Amino acid sequence: MTVIHENMEDADAKMKARSVSVYYGEKKAIDDVSIDIAPDYVTAFIGPSGCGKSTFLRCFNRMNDTISLARVTGNIELEGENILDDTMDVVQLRARVGMVFQKPNPFPKSIYENIAYGPKIHGLAEKKADLDAVVEKSLTRAGLWAEVKDRLDDSGTALSGGQQQRLCIARAIAVDPEVILMDEPASALDPIATAKIEELIDELSGRYAIVIVTHSMQQAARVSQRTAFFHLGKMVEYGPTSDIFTNPIEERTKDYITGRYG
Amino acid sequence: MATTTADMGSGRSATKQLNADRPTRTAAFEKRLAKRYRAERIFKLMGQAAIVFSVAVLIFLLGNMLINGIGGFQRAELTVPIDFPASGVSGDEVSLSAPSAIQTLEMQGLPDITEFYAEEALGPEGAAQVSDDAWRDVAAALMAEPGMIERTQVFNLPASSDLAAGLAGEGSPEMQALAQQLVSEGKLAENWDLGFMWRSDATSPQQVGIWGALKGSILTMIVTLLLAFPIGVLAALYLEEYAPKNRWTDLIEVSINNLAAVPSIIFGLLGLAVFLAIFPNFRSAPLIGGMTLALMTMPVIVISGRNAIKAVPPSIRDGALAVGASPVQVVFHHVLPLALPGMLTGTIIGMARALGETAPLLMIGMRAFVATPPDSFTSPATVLPVQIFLWSDEIDRGFVERTSAAIIVLLLFLLLMNGLAIYLRNKFEKTW
Repeated sequence: MTVIHENMEDADAKMKARSVSVYYGEKKAIDDVSIDIAPDYVTAFIGPSGCGKSTFLRCFNRMNDTISLARVTGNIELEGENILDDTMDVVQLRARVGMVFQKPNPFPKSIYENIAYGPKIHGLAEKKADLDAVVEKSLTRAGLWAEVKDRLDDSGTALSGGQQQRLCIARAIAVDPEVILMDEPASALDPIATAKIEELIDELSGRYAIVIVTHSMQQAARVSQRTAFFHLGKMVEYGPTSDIFTNPIEERTKDYITGRYG
Repeated sequence: MATTTADMGSGRSATKQLNADRPTRTAAFEKRLAKRYRAERIFKLMGQAAIVFSVAVLIFLLGNMLINGIGGFQRAELTVPIDFPASGVSGDEVSLSAPSAIQTLEMQGLPDITEFYAEEALGPEGAAQVSDDAWRDVAAALMAEPGMIERTQVFNLPASSDLAAGLAGEGSPEMQALAQQLVSEGKLAENWDLGFMWRSDATSPQQVGIWGALKGSILTMIVTLLLAFPIGVLAALYLEEYAPKNRWTDLIEVSINNLAAVPSIIFGLLGLAVFLAIFPNFRSAPLIGGMTLALMTMPVIVISGRNAIKAVPPSIRDGALAVGASPVQVVFHHVLPLALPGMLTGTIIGMARALGETAPLLMIGMRAFVATPPDSFTSPATVLPVQIFLWSDEIDRGFVERTSAAIIVLLLFLLLMNGLAIYLRNKFEKTW
């Protein structure tokens, strides 16, 4: 049974998932999940490993399409438009809903090329000067400009892990998406790089709707305003982050945040 | 403070007692350890012995080839001066530069003139041992430098293969004696034969060259590359990135793997039955040879290409998809550039195999005697390995060295291609 706290249903929610289930072949990885993603908040998905939170996140920009076994049912609306519909243009969807992955995955190209790639393929910048401006703006927003402005031609893979991840965030925001999905963006980073990423998420919230999957409860508590707890493919509880961590309603949520399992 | 130290001390001595009993400190353990090290040393020694053996065999092979082959780049030549003003041969810059000059010179009696001066210089016995076609060398020199016609020019004309054998200390005793006499007169010598690189097949080992076969090989390889590389790369990309995984694609995969293992002569039969049936006029042509070898090379490119594509990390694909790249953009902007070094390596390995292939080309008539280098993709040609095969079959002793020399040329060509493969791989290789 899913417990949803009061005032979590939002008339102007950015994205609305309704009765979403995901199957890998015969196996049900996500079971009938409905959730509203608010436009100006950071929403965190937490839960033990294998609970399906990453799988669910990947539904929001249809990255599960790349897994031939995966099948998604239900509805996910992006401002009233069902993105799971066959008529939805996936390329446009992914330009509107960006994603940052667990392991930093910069392209093995220059830092400049990494950022410019998205705007280029979507034709967002006509002239070189426009492209330069987009690159600078994106890197500045990702807090990386000062560190890399003198070596934009260096390979993106030559940066440190934390810098690579911020480069990937800059790459995602270069096409100015409406939603950014982050799949455990700091799990491969050291504490200092993690702190920088969390700071960055804080700065980006408000401008973008952010959904972050994390296995670190402290991280969810630090960066998010809303938290959904997943367990065994089901959403157990969804509410304001402060309530989930201080005053959970469900027994399983309480057990998880007090460290009884996970 | 002091009591704490004492406590810790007593604790330590107890641990010491415990440690002495641990299984990793017994004599038996140390014995086992020594045995493990010995096994490692023996394994290392065996590996080194294997490497030394293979390097020694390789050095012997190459050394042997080189020693035999060096002679193939030389030939026995007789020194004959020809006094052109007195000979009655006429011509000027324009007429001698014309392509038909060789016929004009033949009509003016150049073969007889050459024989006459040979007899004058070497005596009748020596002149009889000037290669029959020697006048063609004179004509070629004249056409290359028309100014010669106004002076006496000393030519090094190829000796007959009998005399060449005599010079090498083989053949009949009379020839050996004649060779010794001519050498002592300074009229016979073993000279470096650069012309070997620029002539084509001939009946006499003194007159043969490798250029015809080399050019045939190059033309054939161009056809093979142009057909096999794009088809192989596109097939690999489609199978890896687009094709659904079902029974049909499994069947295609098995077929391609089988195709790579089919004996090459079967491809020759296919070329004979299919390509030559469609283009009956292009027998022995590099076009047909290249098409046949492309069939053989394509599965190798597909297999290596698919492996190279599989090696591209999925995270790069995800990253590109997540910024909104379409599947075609993912393939051509990210997957292909990263897979290219592996694909190129596979391609060049396949091409190197095709370059050394003899059997399928025999089936489509590329074993013909071709005395002029092919001037197009559709003119009759032969290729290096077939040329080597043909020369090794000749009775004349002179061909033994020429065969080795041709092998050296083939090996150098192969080395060049492999060097190119390594260069391209390093150039395009990226790390992630």
